[in-house]
Amino acid sequence: MRDVARDPAALELLRVQRSRLADRMRPPWWYLTGVAIMYALVFAFPFASRFLGASIWPFFVAALVVSVPLQWGWTRVTGIKIGFRNLSYPGPGRPARYAVVVVSLAAIVTEHFLIDRGLIVAAIAVAALAVVAEVAAQQALLRGIRQELRGGGGAA
Amino acid sequence: MTARPDPLIHPITRLSICGLLAAGADWVEFAALRDAAGISDSVLSKQSRVLEDAGYVEVRKGAVGRRPRTWFRLTAEGRLAVQGHLAWLAQLEEAFSASTQDPRQARPLPGDRDQPRRVLPPLLGST
Repeated sequence: MRDVARDPAALELLRVQRSRLADRMRPPWWYLTGVAIMYALVFAFPFASRFLGASIWPFFVAALVVSVPLQWGWTRVTGIKIGFRNLSYPGPGRPARYAVVVVSLAAIVTEHFLIDRGLIVAAIAVAALAVVAEVAAQQALLRGIRQELRGGGGAA
Repeated sequence: MTARPDPLIHPITRLSICGLLAAGADWVEFAALRDAAGISDSVLSKQSRVLEDAGYVEVRKGAVGRRPRTWFRLTAEGRLAVQGHLAWLAQLEEAFSASTQDPRQARPLPGDRDQPRRVLPPLLGST
């Protein structure tokens, strides 16, 4: 076995290997489609509550039914498990993490506001834009995670 | 965290395994680790067992259908050791690059095909 102490390129090799590991976190089309469906369900809630009188629970369960297999498949494909830590993780993707929360709240409030005033088309447009924004935020989040993995998550 | 070499992580295969597990993931699956490290199944099995016996790596075995799945993660003790070892290597790398900027040390000697070996020993002694 090669002796790393005499090989100053050992850290460089590790950087390459970490980069390879991080590249596994590139989202395939089905993952982003699943994320879009999940958020579409979330943003359909104001319409359903207004026109069908539905409660939030069926939507919550439906979003879970989409997100749990999605996450399972994602972990299986990448071979990397990264659980939720806090809103600040990953460091480089922090704005995206906050954006997910802010866009969700803002979109639901705006949809309710527009639906109450009969502006259904505008509410649908807001929901569609919110779905696109959430998918973009999810991509930015994954980019942040990849960057964190490349950098070693603080470990040299 | 103190920068110090760990003889167990010193061999490059184990350094790769530990360095990848310390990258930030909670768990890394066998195939992902093998592909990222660029090693064979048998080497990963053998080296991961050494690390597991030392208490540096935790191994979880499961199955998806009939296919066995093995997941790895660093223990708290392993994480500390890896961080210390990587910090030590980073110091070494820094010292090495500083010394190669010194033309007296960087100049290869006639017939010297392994220049880093001639530069590194004093650095190793100084850490």
